[in-house]
Amino acid sequence: MNRARSLIKYSFTRLALAPIMLLLISTLVFFLLRIAPGDPVDAILGNRADFAAREALRIKLGLDMPLINQYFNYINGLIHGNLGESLNNQEPVIQIIGKLLPASIELALIALIIALIIGFSVGFLGIARPEGKTDLAVRLFGIGTYALAPFWAAMLFQIFFSVILGWLPVGGRFPPELIPPEGTGFFIFDSLINGDTTSLYGSVRHLFLPAATLGILLSGVFSRSLRLNLEQILNTNYIQAARSRGIKENNVILYHALPNAMLPILTIAGLTIASLIGGALLIEVTFSWPGIALGLQEAINQRDYPMVQGIVVVISSLVVLISLFIDILIAFIDPRIKY
Amino acid sequence: MNLIKILMFRKYLKIVINLTAILLVFCQISCTQSTNNKRITIASKGKIDSLDPAQANKLLALQLISALGDTLYRIDSNGTLEPRLAEAEPKISKDGLNILIPLRKDVVFHDGTRFNAKAMAFSLKRFINIGTLNYIIDDRIESIETPEEFVLKIKLSRPSSSIKGLLTSINLTPISPSSYAGYKNKFLNETLIGTGPYKLSSYSPERQTLEPFENYWGEKPNNKGLNYISFNTSTSLFSAIKTGQIDILLSNAIEDGHRLALHNLSKKGLLIEGEGPAMQIGYIAFRTNSNLLENKTIREALLYSIDRKLISKQVSYNLREPLRSLIPPILQVNKKSQWPKYNPIIAKELYKNAGFCNNKILNLPLTFRSNVPSDKLLALTWQEQVKRDLSDCLEISLNGVESTTVYKQLSEGIYEAVILGWTGDYPDPYAYLSPLLDCKEIVLETCREGEAVFGGTFWANNELQESLENSETLFSEERTKELSKAEMLAADGASILPVWILNQRVWMQTNFDNPQFDGNGRLLLEKITNNNE
Repeated sequence: MNRARSLIKYSFTRLALAPIMLLLISTLVFFLLRIAPGDPVDAILGNRADFAAREALRIKLGLDMPLINQYFNYINGLIHGNLGESLNNQEPVIQIIGKLLPASIELALIALIIALIIGFSVGFLGIARPEGKTDLAVRLFGIGTYALAPFWAAMLFQIFFSVILGWLPVGGRFPPELIPPEGTGFFIFDSLINGDTTSLYGSVRHLFLPAATLGILLSGVFSRSLRLNLEQILNTNYIQAARSRGIKENNVILYHALPNAMLPILTIAGLTIASLIGGALLIEVTFSWPGIALGLQEAINQRDYPMVQGIVVVISSLVVLISLFIDILIAFIDPRIKY
Repeated sequence: MNLIKILMFRKYLKIVINLTAILLVFCQISCTQSTNNKRITIASKGKIDSLDPAQANKLLALQLISALGDTLYRIDSNGTLEPRLAEAEPKISKDGLNILIPLRKDVVFHDGTRFNAKAMAFSLKRFINIGTLNYIIDDRIESIETPEEFVLKIKLSRPSSSIKGLLTSINLTPISPSSYAGYKNKFLNETLIGTGPYKLSSYSPERQTLEPFENYWGEKPNNKGLNYISFNTSTSLFSAIKTGQIDILLSNAIEDGHRLALHNLSKKGLLIEGEGPAMQIGYIAFRTNSNLLENKTIREALLYSIDRKLISKQVSYNLREPLRSLIPPILQVNKKSQWPKYNPIIAKELYKNAGFCNNKILNLPLTFRSNVPSDKLLALTWQEQVKRDLSDCLEISLNGVESTTVYKQLSEGIYEAVILGWTGDYPDPYAYLSPLLDCKEIVLETCREGEAVFGGTFWANNELQESLENSETLFSEERTKELSKAEMLAADGASILPVWILNQRVWMQTNFDNPQFDGNGRLLLEKITNNNE
């Protein structure tokens, strides 16, 4: 079998496995949520409603049905692309997620770009003078940013840049005095498409601090990986051979060392963005960023089962798809990889 | 290593310097840019998931709905019933079963359609049919009729003197039948077509924009509109008001430390602080059918064991008023506190009478809602106060449980003593007493079915139950007396220990006039005036 056919077969196999994985995740989430203490009816009504009111709401929300019926209804809906309705406000879950997801993706993408810029710059600084003072500082930066508690860092940044310096807004996604641009839900993109510079400016100002905080916290991982990978690769025989053939150092690094050093970083970047979409909770909470992680937290607090299930399915799908894409990309780039 | 060297020094430094310069310019422009927008920015904690009066159940949403719509009546800041969409006070028949409400004739909805009795009936029926909190009606309304275009007739299934208070409930805000024609049996979360002084111009759960309604029947708003935004943390809210990012901070969910800091800023004249009537009570419920607390003497001893003043000072810096009643002071006519004051000497006597103190220490497991910071502080402070004053008789062991789980397990009789909070669904003493004490089936002072079960006390008393029911058939002083009697019996039963009361507070930048509240504890947004305009 030639390489192209193997790659296609591999991709299809992975794609075929994805729904099974999602089904397992959905089933697990469905039952774990029901096992967890608390009840959506109590979350909605608090401790104030009487038995009849509780039962009426329970029937209305479909929570009176046997668990197995609820499960099959849920799976049936899922197969047909229906994630159900939020127990909290009876809106379709897919619509709510559609409003939350762009905010998270926008934040994750910009944070990743910032992380890559800072991480690569710092990583290069370290490899320039291995084992020197700069390298030590770079290593400390890598470990420090990785170890820093996100909520603490976020609050420090918020206090310094918003409260003390007053440069950037404390939180939110868009200036309160403006009406958000209509379109895809990606405010920066929508502002650009509409040619609305005021909205663009407002969006960027609100995005900058959470994205920079997240980016700086993540940059350590990239700087460490780049530094370690480049260091290893620059000591390999094929690099020595390239140097001995008289190839310029710039070209050795750019065309021979860097592409190989980038492979693990590509994997890290892919998984980072996937996890960021659903995992930037503390940043979203601190900066009041209306993303999907915050939505998930609120849904859990409210015991909004369909909402939690929907968000988990969407995030899992994204993680599966992105990791699949990265695997295929790496398999495509690196001829050594067998599948 | 040429590339790296190049990256490292000159060029890299230049790039960094240039980027920093751009960033600084960018930030400086943003700092110097004044907001020419004339709408007032109000921030609160938490999102607004629904603007549908039939669905909304959070204080924040109700506050916003009160700006977008009007109710038939409103309780003013003195506690008096004030007609809004009604033209006059309701006329109640002698048997107390029929209520006639004359309506204003000059009111239009935001969609331009006319407000009349049919619109009011549509809204009431819709709330009874699908309202999340429709249990507040408690089967009291038998039918709703519209004998004339501007007269509403409500037929009750039983006399109910608290119905007037119920008619002030924000959940009964009328909505336009034509705009909600497709939403008779489902919620419309993203808009509200009401009759209020403002109309909604944009909505998302975390931000809403309101503009003055040009055809409003009443006094026009004093401002040019509102931006309503939400933040997730108390710190963000505090920072936002301090830095001037928002004009007004309106939140009961703000932490007590921040509350104090804001209070101090307003004392220094850097902010304006406003206080609404206190409506949210905090109390401890005792499970009276447990082996430990079925002994009334122990419960009575506990009533004497809490130093409310100390707790209020330590937890809220005196910003929460100690409370020895279940009814908020604004709704009390005789202003009498039925629960005993802190008295460790009497407490010790009672513990001794119950067989404790002589090397036998009573251990009280106290549960608090772990996601409510003030509850945790209350529990910790009471624990320490007991250690200081009553350590030879009582010790308190603490247990934090998330609120949703607490509510679920209250009726299962899991908690011996639990810290809870309550805000009446409408401003009436009955809306405080009935939900905490009412019982449908009583067996020897134990409630088998009713609110007392859902409240986790399982305590009931036939005389109190009669008193509560009688109060619904009485008016004026007689009603007040009956409710006082009910409260006195509740205090005597010692199933509930009121601790404190919290009022709605608002903080504004100094260019605004003093805020005004209604008797429901809601800020009158239309009265806010920006003196810089």
